[in-house]
Amino acid sequence: MAESHLTFELPVERGKVREFALSVGEDNPVFFDVDAARAQGLPDIVAPPTFTVTQIWQISREQREAQLGANLDYERVLHGEQEFVYQRLPFAGEILRGTMRISKDFTKQGKRGGEMRFVTYESRFVDVQGEDVLTAYYTLIETAKDVG
Amino acid sequence: MGTPETITMEGITPGQEFGEVVFGPLEKVDFVRYAGASGDFNPIHTDESYARRTGAPTVFAMGMLPAGYLAHAVTDWFGGPQNLRRFKVRFTTRVWPGDELVCRAHVVSIEDGIVKTTLEVHRRGSGPEGLDLPAEEMAIVAEADVELPE
Repeated sequence: MAESHLTFELPVERGKVREFALSVGEDNPVFFDVDAARAQGLPDIVAPPTFTVTQIWQISREQREAQLGANLDYERVLHGEQEFVYQRLPFAGEILRGTMRISKDFTKQGKRGGEMRFVTYESRFVDVQGEDVLTAYYTLIETAKDVG
Repeated sequence: MGTPETITMEGITPGQEFGEVVFGPLEKVDFVRYAGASGDFNPIHTDESYARRTGAPTVFAMGMLPAGYLAHAVTDWFGGPQNLRRFKVRFTTRVWPGDELVCRAHVVSIEDGIVKTTLEVHRRGSGPEGLDLPAEEMAIVAEADVELPE
């Protein structure tokens, strides 16, 4: 079977970076103040570590299912885990591109009986030179069907 | 606004603890702000009547909101966001309006110039009426790897 993936683009904009930083209570000027970021040798303000989760919400559930085909029952789905592996943080002004694919899909026995399914979506972000920036892993858990 | 203090490997030993740092209490408007900032518009986090129809007593936080606060705490403890190499969270319970977020870190080891830590976020608060939640419980179990200058 050919591996399914979808491609995306994530422009990293100053206004969105600041808005996201505020929403998680950040007060480090490296997220807000271009001069402060440059004083630390960075080209611009940086995106907070969890910023690229915004990529997930730019792709509708329907589109993700149509292109990657996990066939999850969303009445029973929870966000179970999230992981980021960084080469560096994105900075404002760059446009990240990437691919998203299912990297793990397995089931295990639930504590209260029935099977739980774990599906992990891997999003790999690269910069305009094609260099890796970070990889994000978004894990959904489909909880067991009600046995009782 | 706070620039984190510079920290080097010399300042770190296995077993060292960081925290607790407390954020909040979170309000419903914080969930709305995070919805706008992140693009997560699942109404279960922002629309009271929708949440009730699903059987929840009220709206609850998207997991990535407390996870974002935890990332904030970690990057403040370890010299800034540029030092972070890996961050992984696992959600263990829901976070409710009125909850405080209590963040802690524990240094597990130092390997090849990377500080490996385990992290926790506890929700602290009375929770919605009728749920009878413990006053404090684990909401996130996490790990972070941080690269520090010598």
